[in-house]
Amino acid sequence: MATTQENPLLEGLQVRRTPDPCILVIFGASGDLTKRKLFPALYSLAFRRLLPEKFAVVGVARTEENDDEFRERMKEAVQSSARDEFRDDVWEALAEGMRYIAADFNDHDALNRLAGTLTEIDEELGTEGNRVYYLAIPPSAFESVVRDLGEHSQATGWRRLIVEKPFGHDLTSARHLNEIVEEHFDESEVFRIDHYLGKETVQNMLALRFANGIFEPIWNRQFVDHVQITVAESIGIEARAQYYEQAGAIRDIFQNHLLQLLAITAMEPPIDFTADSVRNEKVKVLRAMHTPGPKSVVRGQYGRGYIEGEEVAGYREEDGVDPQSTTDTYVAAKLYVDNWRWADTPFYVRMGKRLPRRETTIAIEFKRAPHPPFEELAAEGLQPNVLLVHVQPDEGVSLAIGAKVPGQGINIRTVHMDFLYGGAFRTGLPEAYERLILDAMLGDATLFTRIDEVEEQWKLVDAIVAAWSRDRPAFPNYPAGTWGPPSANELLARDGRSWRRH
Amino acid sequence: MAAALTSVREIERQMSELRAEPGAGAPYQRTSVMTHTAWVPEEWVEAAEDVLSGLAERHPSRTIVLIPQPNQEDGLDADVDVDVYPASEGRAICTETIRVRLKGRRAGAPASVVEPLLLPDLPAFLRWRGLPPFGETSFEGLVDVVDRLIVDSTEWPALPRSYRGLAEIFDRVIVSDIAWARTSRWRPQLASLWPRIAQVERIRVKGTAAQAHLLAGWLRSRLGRDVELEHDESDRLVGVELDGKAAPFPPGDAPGAADLLSEELDRFTRDRVYEDAVRAAVR
Repeated sequence: MATTQENPLLEGLQVRRTPDPCILVIFGASGDLTKRKLFPALYSLAFRRLLPEKFAVVGVARTEENDDEFRERMKEAVQSSARDEFRDDVWEALAEGMRYIAADFNDHDALNRLAGTLTEIDEELGTEGNRVYYLAIPPSAFESVVRDLGEHSQATGWRRLIVEKPFGHDLTSARHLNEIVEEHFDESEVFRIDHYLGKETVQNMLALRFANGIFEPIWNRQFVDHVQITVAESIGIEARAQYYEQAGAIRDIFQNHLLQLLAITAMEPPIDFTADSVRNEKVKVLRAMHTPGPKSVVRGQYGRGYIEGEEVAGYREEDGVDPQSTTDTYVAAKLYVDNWRWADTPFYVRMGKRLPRRETTIAIEFKRAPHPPFEELAAEGLQPNVLLVHVQPDEGVSLAIGAKVPGQGINIRTVHMDFLYGGAFRTGLPEAYERLILDAMLGDATLFTRIDEVEEQWKLVDAIVAAWSRDRPAFPNYPAGTWGPPSANELLARDGRSWRRH
Repeated sequence: MAAALTSVREIERQMSELRAEPGAGAPYQRTSVMTHTAWVPEEWVEAAEDVLSGLAERHPSRTIVLIPQPNQEDGLDADVDVDVYPASEGRAICTETIRVRLKGRRAGAPASVVEPLLLPDLPAFLRWRGLPPFGETSFEGLVDVVDRLIVDSTEWPALPRSYRGLAEIFDRVIVSDIAWARTSRWRPQLASLWPRIAQVERIRVKGTAAQAHLLAGWLRSRLGRDVELEHDESDRLVGVELDGKAAPFPPGDAPGAADLLSEELDRFTRDRVYEDAVRAAVR
């Protein structure tokens, strides 16, 4: 064997990680996700020369369309949604490797045709048999596509499977889907997307915690009074009634995004930043969470109300929604992570549609100063210290501290030290999907959820939902444009706390 | 000026772009201690802008100016200013002003426009120009999302009757009245007349109606009995007589409008003495 000597010419050069040559196959290429997120992300990657030189994208969907029509449609999508300026040369290079195959996902012949096309591209472009399969398809089509892909596994190269949520609708279905996947793919080849993990600020939570010496010593039950996580959306269900009626906020947000945010906030320091080290720590948090009792969970559904001054319909009046629907559009819960670090420290979480503003934040509220000598003077102006991580919008971190108001006497008031990404680093923030697609091509699964995490998340959801089936909630119980039902406030008021003000 | 912004999302985007504006040596530091919302019907716009411009340096904040235009076609129409003040060597602080014109029916639910724009976790103040329409949803909704309501009852017609609606919301929101602040030089002056003032039966005030009624209400509520009021109209407080005898003039100059508002923005607690005075002014 020849000795491999490291290339001495590369020393000091910043070599970017570039993926191996490969073909990205998008199932569900006529869908909204492909148009709004995937192609704009691919374009931005191409714009920064982060894609491999030998690269092709094959779109597969039911819609009848030829290669050129597909290219044209995606060009428009990129022009309207990409964060970078549109440059013809960048686009042409990307478009050259684009193909489209119209196929029903249950049609084996069509998938045979796909295999043929992929082999052709391999020969033509030199993509070496490497494949990334992106499944942006409804759960009903999942099984047959995965089986067919498994049967057509090629002799050379690697393959990776990117799976969009929802991964199942309960523990049983998630396990079933996983059995199908496991038959044909190794867990290391499966990349389950939770796009929140691709967001810069979520990754920054890891940097904040583990790259700074000052936070970790106080990041525990001794100093933290409680944690609040809010995932608020002001939009309604848009045109997703069919999905949302089945899912509700608990499956749409709680099961994946919210529990992942919580896991990242509560996890122990991983020994390194490899996929398994990070995910081992996250899954420990999920395992340590016990099922909240029925009194610790509040569900809600919005009625008519106002958003930005405009009257909007109630959930039951939305197109495609059952007028008697008991689907939850809001969930609040008090959760506990039962381990040495967090025992008895509540994690209050809330998420919902048609709340007054779009906001995702993680707030770490620290215990009050034990004996502030200024108590009388501070009156209502002094709040406990809060470390706020803004995931969106206005990505950044801010720390609330009590400070003296200039002037006579000692008047104390809460002020915020803000670190805003937009201000501190001048570069634009990459979209979550750019990061995630690139990571999958590179085979780095750190920011993807592993099957054991998914299963733990479903266990928790199943236990909560089981309690719900016993009674019929009095919906709607909050008007659109308000912060959820009154019972959500009571959930905290019982503990002498309140939701962060807005 | 750039094209008008028509949604909260556009306002947010514009603000973050303005904050990151290159040119300054270091990125702007957003410094804010509160959100200050002002309800400014068209006829008050000029007066309000004057006060706001005197305020920014002292109270770094986000200011949301709501201009209701109920007779126009439905819609939002906003613009955003980021003003930069030099703080120290090479550093600058910025304050944000968002002007939102609420057209047509959008004027009916202003709280749903304000709420997404409030700075998280910081106190929110509402300055209401003119007499608030107590009981109406547009006003009540806003009261529910702020911590403190600031009015100037000098701007109100039909005093003291108009105080009745105000007295009813004391338990829901902390209220500041700039007219009350305008009596602040006189109250210690009158207090210095203790114990002689304990016997007073009649107070004659030459000043605004608001000042006259509030001073009378104050005396009544503090002394725990009725005091008769006579009022001579004047655009500012120039004299107080107790049982026909002129009280000595307090020292110093009367503070300006921006100073008065600024002082109210520094307070966080309920002013029970003021609340009692308002109740006693209505009787």
